[in-house]
Amino acid sequence: MVENFEGEHLLFGQLGQLSVYTAFVFALIAAIAFFISSFSNNELNQKLWRRAGYVAFFIQGAAILSIVVNLYIIIHSHYFEYYYAWQHSSKALPMNYLLSCFWEGQEGSFLLWMFWTSVLGIVLIFTLKEFQAGVLSVFAVVQGFLSSMLLGTYIFGYKVGSTPFALLRHEMGNAPIFQRADYLSFIQDGNGLNPLLQNYWMVIHPPILFLGFASTLVPFSFALSGLMNRKFTFWTKPVMPWALFSAAILGTGIMMGGAWAYEALTFGGYWAWDPVENASLVPWLTLIAGVHTALVFNKTGRSLRMTYVFFLLTFILILYSTFLTRSGILGDTSVHAFTDLGMSGQLVFYMAGLSIPAIILLLVYWRRIPSIKKEENLLSREFWIFIGSLIFLLSSLHIAFNTSLPVWNKVFGTNLAVPSDAVMFYNKVQLWAGVFIALLSASALYLKFKSSNAMQFRNRILLLLGITIPLTAVIAIAGKFDLVSNIILLFAAIFGVIANLYYFFIVLSGNWKLSGAAVAHLGFALTLIGILISSAKKETISFNSAGVNFGKEFSEAAQRANMLLYKNVPVKMDKYTVTYVGDSVSEPNYYYKVNYEVFDSATGQIKDRFTLFPNAQINPKMGLIANPDTRHYLTKDLYTHVTSVPDKTKQQASAQEEFKPYFLTKGDTIFTNNSYVILEDIARITTSKKVEIQPGDLIVGADLLVKTLEGQSFSAQPLFHIQGNRANLIDDKLSELGLTFRLNKIIPEENKIELHVAQTEPEPDFIVMTAIVFPYINVLWLGIIITILGFVISMVRTLQNRRSAQQITAKRPVAERVTL
Amino acid sequence: MKKIHIIGLVMIAVAIGFIITLASDYSQYETFSSAEGETKKDFHIVGTLVKEKDQYYDPITNPNYFTFYLQDKNGDQCKVVFNGTKPQDFDRSEQIVLTGKMSGSDFQASHILMKCPSKYKIDELEVTEYKSNS
Repeated sequence: MVENFEGEHLLFGQLGQLSVYTAFVFALIAAIAFFISSFSNNELNQKLWRRAGYVAFFIQGAAILSIVVNLYIIIHSHYFEYYYAWQHSSKALPMNYLLSCFWEGQEGSFLLWMFWTSVLGIVLIFTLKEFQAGVLSVFAVVQGFLSSMLLGTYIFGYKVGSTPFALLRHEMGNAPIFQRADYLSFIQDGNGLNPLLQNYWMVIHPPILFLGFASTLVPFSFALSGLMNRKFTFWTKPVMPWALFSAAILGTGIMMGGAWAYEALTFGGYWAWDPVENASLVPWLTLIAGVHTALVFNKTGRSLRMTYVFFLLTFILILYSTFLTRSGILGDTSVHAFTDLGMSGQLVFYMAGLSIPAIILLLVYWRRIPSIKKEENLLSREFWIFIGSLIFLLSSLHIAFNTSLPVWNKVFGTNLAVPSDAVMFYNKVQLWAGVFIALLSASALYLKFKSSNAMQFRNRILLLLGITIPLTAVIAIAGKFDLVSNIILLFAAIFGVIANLYYFFIVLSGNWKLSGAAVAHLGFALTLIGILISSAKKETISFNSAGVNFGKEFSEAAQRANMLLYKNVPVKMDKYTVTYVGDSVSEPNYYYKVNYEVFDSATGQIKDRFTLFPNAQINPKMGLIANPDTRHYLTKDLYTHVTSVPDKTKQQASAQEEFKPYFLTKGDTIFTNNSYVILEDIARITTSKKVEIQPGDLIVGADLLVKTLEGQSFSAQPLFHIQGNRANLIDDKLSELGLTFRLNKIIPEENKIELHVAQTEPEPDFIVMTAIVFPYINVLWLGIIITILGFVISMVRTLQNRRSAQQITAKRPVAERVTL
Repeated sequence: MKKIHIIGLVMIAVAIGFIITLASDYSQYETFSSAEGETKKDFHIVGTLVKEKDQYYDPITNPNYFTFYLQDKNGDQCKVVFNGTKPQDFDRSEQIVLTGKMSGSDFQASHILMKCPSKYKIDELEVTEYKSNS
């Protein structure tokens, strides 16, 4: 057994691992200190323990920063002796993707989560004026749980967490290579980043999403500490800006996931009701419900119990979604490939560890949580917000229940699955949630808290209906909507748009400060319109005319999803004349250049012309990974992606056998079946994309000009590469002509080269492509952005209110202030 | 009756409605033998590709027609027709989950989910060898 290995950089791993332990231990110390402080009756003790908690929390924050820095150094310096760097990165990756490597692995994504939790905790320490200790005790406990996910140590024989600082030779200790002290010199490169994740969404989406995850802990901590310390109502006002922040960030994260799927993956849309998407949507829905019931409590003193339920549930659901996506249990049902790192038991343990105390506390104190016995007025805003929050709850239960089918199957031994058309399956229930929420979110604003003027309400709603109904009719007829359910949704969404616009401009007179709710609700209604039109009216236009008709039992859609495009043969697709004109390689991507032209039917003039480059990575390890390319118009998107290409490796294999030798000097010409080839130059080469040049290597290239009988010109450059005492022959291939050139030998004495040429029947070059038109999809993106803007406006408003409220309290004598 | 009770009843009714509509929609994981004769409902079938038997995909004749044989967990083999392109990494798949219905003796797949030995499921090291120049 080798004791000392050469070339390893163990310091960073040791520092990193030490920081992992520090973060874990100090998070727990902080939790205990805050806990004692929050239960202490003595003011001095409260203060001392709280101070101790601060110090411990800052230390764990510094430790997390140190983990981040050390891990980043390891990835950035390509220290492949570390498993994480070897598994997730490679030398060829540009800087921004090195960041992606950082959070590609489970350990890195937990680290990102912890990092944000630390940041938010520090902001809480500096901004929260009252009841800090209780809130922070919950916060620090959860931070401890998260930190333990990185421990990677055995506690009582059970492996807790998985460390990002594990060494390659420990993880893969059985390989014989690790018997050698100089093993590192053989490991020249890492495994690389999954090509699917090599795009800019992977750089920006995870940080936002995990900030969203981390931020849901704040409302949870407020609620749980409210129960623990029996201060049932203190937190509902300070929680508002945090809950709104969380709603905005988590919403942005989910939207980015959808945009990523749409822009870069081949789901054929932005939302597929995939379990991984659902898992982050469900907590967002309960969070939104919680924001509303908390508002109701602050205004009227009602709905506090539901507020507790929603905020506690939200974070538990975040943990549950982490469990679903990390445990490998979704295996058969999701396109997102996740494997189990053996941490699912731990996640279940934490989920139980947080939810069981929360449920028990909630049940024990249920009757003591303040509520108002008298019934709500039917014409009051709080009543309808309450109904709306129940619809959010039902909607999220429906999604959560069905997403959890693999879990039920495992627990109850059943074998149920969501039907093949999952989108239809979810849409047909969720559509009604959308209808009710749109109607409620529009009309509830016209009601006042506690009681409203019935006459005024009725008149305004009648006015709005008077605008909405004709508008709906016009759009439904113009857009040829035929399903009743879709028309009802269209009506509800248009009502939402009109009512919220009217509310903003007429009732609020355009006052931005108060407009948060109206803006968010307007955004929601627009989002619904965007979803409805882009999905109900989405049209696959890549009709395959070459296809055989298989009879009526196969739907038309199935037959025409994919279209064959021969190179340089224009095909009519909808109103576009589409021509595949060739591919180009920019490692690791193949770009397929497809020209689109639109002709005016009367004059024959070109009205519109553009080129799309749907690309694919033809990865020897993973096969074809298609990336769509989309033409964006204001009113629609034309979305295309390649679904199949000819297998060029097979052609190469058959071409290898029939090489014919030619002896040529500069300027000589040879003839092939379809072209003539001129040797233009023989020259030494110093840079080449095809081969990595080491110092001392000698490379000679033959510059060939190939002219076809039709007059097309091509160039080719086979290479002769001398490395030490070995020669590599690097062929060049013109697949369009079926020609392969090999520079077999250089004869310096005669100034000649021996060129080998192989010719095969040129294979037809083609691509198979899908093209889908999504009309008015921009309305969807606009709607989501407006919704998030609404959250931000409300957040700013609640922050301003808090500040002015605090200034008033500050003026009161110190003795009156509530201190902890 | 208080409003809260009415709301409660409505919620329960909606929930029951959900369950009834859902129960008839769910698809089941089946095998070819248990799915046989049932042509109306969708099934999920988990199995492996039969590599010895012929696959057919010729994009030049029809890019939306692909057939292959699948062996289910009981060992039964069945021809599968899929109206789409042949997934590029198909031959390397370790496990396939099909969704679709029986159509005569064939299985008409509407959806294919493959599991391939991922590059990222690490089981081998890539080692490059460097020779000296002597």
